[in-house]
Amino acid sequence: MRLTKRRQATSTVIGIGLLAIMLFPVYWMINTSLQSGNVGASSTLLPLHPTLAAYRLALSQQGGDIVTSLTISCGTVLLSLAIAAPAAYVLARSRIRGRSVILLALVITQMVPGIVIANSLYPAFDQLGLLNSRLGLVLADTSTALPFAILIMRAFMVSLPGEIVEAARVDGAGLVRTFVSIVLPVSRNAVITAGLFAFLFSWSDFLFALTLTTGTNLTPVTLGIYSYLGGEIQSWGPVMATGVLSALPAIVLLAFAQRFISVGQLNGAVK
Amino acid sequence: MNRQGSRSTRVLVAAATCAALALALAGCSGSSSGSGTSATTGLNLTIEDYYSQPAAAAYDTIYSACAKQLGDTVTISHIAGAALIPKVLQQVSSRTMPDVLMLDNPDVDQIAATGALSPLSDYGITGAGYIPGIIAAGSYQGKLYGLAPAVNSLALFYNVDMFKAAGLTPPTTWAELQADAKVLTKPGRYGFAFSGVNTYEGTWQFMPWMWTNAGDEKNIDTPQTAQALQLLTSMVQDGSASKSVVLWTQADVESQFAAGKAAMMENGPWNIALLQGVSGLHWASVPLPTPQAGQKSVSPLGGETYTVPQAGDSAKMAAAGKMVACINSDANQVAISKAVAYVPAKISVAEQFAKTNPLLAPYVTVVQTARSRTGELGNGWDTAATAIYTAEQLALTGKDSPAAALKQAQGQ
Amino acid sequence: MTLTGGQATGSGIPRRTRGLRQERAVTWLFLLPALIYIVLFFGYPIVKNAVMGSQDYTTATFYTGSAPWVGWANYSSFLSSSLAGTTFLNTAVFTVGSIAGQFTIGLAIALFFRRRFPLSGLLRSLLLLPWLLPLIAGAAVWRWILDQDSGVLNSTLLHLHLVHTSVPWLSSPGMALYSVIIVNVWIGIPFNVTLLYSGMQGIPEEHYEAAAIDGAVGWKAFRHITWPALRPIVTVVLVLGVIYTLKVVDIILGLTGGGPANATQTLATTAYQDSFVRFAFGQGAAVNNILLVVSLLFAGLYLRVNRRVSDE
Repeated sequence: MRLTKRRQATSTVIGIGLLAIMLFPVYWMINTSLQSGNVGASSTLLPLHPTLAAYRLALSQQGGDIVTSLTISCGTVLLSLAIAAPAAYVLARSRIRGRSVILLALVITQMVPGIVIANSLYPAFDQLGLLNSRLGLVLADTSTALPFAILIMRAFMVSLPGEIVEAARVDGAGLVRTFVSIVLPVSRNAVITAGLFAFLFSWSDFLFALTLTTGTNLTPVTLGIYSYLGGEIQSWGPVMATGVLSALPAIVLLAFAQRFISVGQLNGAVK
Repeated sequence: MNRQGSRSTRVLVAAATCAALALALAGCSGSSSGSGTSATTGLNLTIEDYYSQPAAAAYDTIYSACAKQLGDTVTISHIAGAALIPKVLQQVSSRTMPDVLMLDNPDVDQIAATGALSPLSDYGITGAGYIPGIIAAGSYQGKLYGLAPAVNSLALFYNVDMFKAAGLTPPTTWAELQADAKVLTKPGRYGFAFSGVNTYEGTWQFMPWMWTNAGDEKNIDTPQTAQALQLLTSMVQDGSASKSVVLWTQADVESQFAAGKAAMMENGPWNIALLQGVSGLHWASVPLPTPQAGQKSVSPLGGETYTVPQAGDSAKMAAAGKMVACINSDANQVAISKAVAYVPAKISVAEQFAKTNPLLAPYVTVVQTARSRTGELGNGWDTAATAIYTAEQLALTGKDSPAAALKQAQGQ
Repeated sequence: MTLTGGQATGSGIPRRTRGLRQERAVTWLFLLPALIYIVLFFGYPIVKNAVMGSQDYTTATFYTGSAPWVGWANYSSFLSSSLAGTTFLNTAVFTVGSIAGQFTIGLAIALFFRRRFPLSGLLRSLLLLPWLLPLIAGAAVWRWILDQDSGVLNSTLLHLHLVHTSVPWLSSPGMALYSVIIVNVWIGIPFNVTLLYSGMQGIPEEHYEAAAIDGAVGWKAFRHITWPALRPIVTVVLVLGVIYTLKVVDIILGLTGGGPANATQTLATTAYQDSFVRFAFGQGAAVNNILLVVSLLFAGLYLRVNRRVSDE
């Protein structure tokens, strides 16, 4: 939608205002992370005597954790998309028997509380030696992200105009060729969106991180945060600092990915 | 060369060889009876607890020192707070429990009831000379499964400056507590703060009031318990305590007190290090007020015990037993208490400790008469605890009178 | 569709038929990894949980493995308890309120961002922050903001004279559920905005231009172009949104612990507390199974309605 310069400026102002309201709690998080002492009850509206002590502590203790989380999340995205994309395409475009059953099964998997899955995975992973391993966490996080990715990508692919697929088939392309050369590029929005959510699911996963590690060497950042709250003494300053720090790389990655969600993917394709 | 000489030489040599062999064998059997001890050396023991920094560092030092003393090495896992029990249950079912497991004392009965723990008497640990309450907490069906090196309880913290300004002395009876709280309540600050949250933490904070007034967890639908609940409810209703107590954890309560938003708080000694770090805050602690003058307050007993899970490997279990004994040594009791502001669990050690740690002296007095939560109901405590905090929430939010709330909760 | 010839090959099977069979095989191969994954990771837990609802599963079971069969006892004990009615009502209110809030606000924001203006890309990415931040930290911050005595929300409202006494957002049983809904909506908006926006981006610009020529702009354009094109996405967003909301435990427990006085106790929090606070795992599984049935009913009902509408 093209707007006049003036309307553009107004929109920007409205946009910033909207975000200011939506992100006030985030501001509060940053605010309290910069204040020393008893955060919570005695936090002021602005950090009058800002201190970076909480950040220094968080970085020194959680720095490695952020890298761990990044590795696991990226692995989850790759694995989920690799498995989900073909499945989503088939479920969207092909007439196969049992399609409704499979879709229903996917929806049902989303109804199961995570802790039930985690409890079942623990003994299995223990036997397979997958505890305390990045691979184990990637596999576990993928199980959460996969059904969602399939359902979302399928919803996008259902709306693909049939003509482009037909055109490819007429030219003699097999299923794989059609998928790789035609469907995937056109479904860029869908793939990126699904990947985005896979990343988010994995990044914010606490349950599998807790269950499938035994507190020794592998700690994703969600687990690291929890350690500040474990005992009777709860230090919220480092918690907030860790929260902010851990959000930064994620936001950068996601902002980068969002650039590729562009309009008019099909412009010119159906001519 | 006469033959007799060579024969006697041979005899001598034979005798010497026999003697040498005998000596060697004696030496071997000497070390093999000592291999009862050497069987517990050179092992790697796993320890699991729920401490987080900075407490974890203090415990790590103690675990390593104890292990070194035994000639073993130790692998330490810290699993944050509430996540420990679910993890323990997973390990119980997959038979991968650690060699030494720390359990908060009210959880001992639950885990012991599964059969996954071994009695400490197997390792010669009796808990003699310990506070009776903590032995009761760590026992299940008459056997001791968990022993705590240090304990804590609840007391009344008060703001010395605010009391001086109001010309008051710290309250000793319930009536005084209510009156003082009312006087000390001003805009921007409440007279009294406690935790009435919807979890076992809220129950924990209610126990001193209930127990000191002769209430009992077997049946909470009694006038004594209702009076205790009425005390807290009145303070919320007349504005001396914030309505937010139904949401506050003990950490939130400490936060309020440290910010000067509460003149008195009910809390435990683990806050001492935090409070000492707040500039401009002058505080002190006394035992909680009792219904009548001259009574002794009966507070709940906190503190973490160390247990030895069943592992099927008797050498490892024996080593684990020694580990538990070492962690509970007098010197370590003092070290732990100093590090996390607890009180030694052995009565004689505690009395000595009180002399050199005046800030913790009130707690030494309190824990002598403290009671364990699971002492009476064992692993049926969870149901009673849930009923207690349910009733407390109903009364504090004004949805029901204390008596009606207790009746409803007891009936559920 | 043109035929690609029916030339017989040496094997006697027409190429086209062979191609079809091959294609069907490839189709299933596309699906296979996903199916294997689902069965491996979800099959056993779902069955186990379904069975656990009818067992007397306690901590001892973890060690001994024995869990006596109790049939419907767990279900009846929950359904007949005095809390059951409150729990169902809270769950319904929480779910409806959350979805209504998240979806409508999310849709509005997604529509707003269709315009191209400076910083729109950056702002859209920042909007993901509520979903990105750890829930523990988020819940704590909201607790402080909503604190009755010293929370910044009440201080602001009092300052602006919009209220006369401080509002008990979380400490009053009457208000707590709505406050929790507000926080859940806040967390859920990024989810809705991202999906709906992505869906809208797939609608070619020409459709709008063509409609504009016919005079259909604004609301008319939305109703006739945007909404129909978004239908599949909206279906997924709503169905999954409801399912996820029914499962929410962390936010509620982080804000109120299920209180005050069970005012924010839902089916999910009850199931969690049954299992991990009271160690009555059979009970918890039973409540979870009830939750699953509710989810299934909703999903089935919605899909039925949706199909009927699209058939019109």
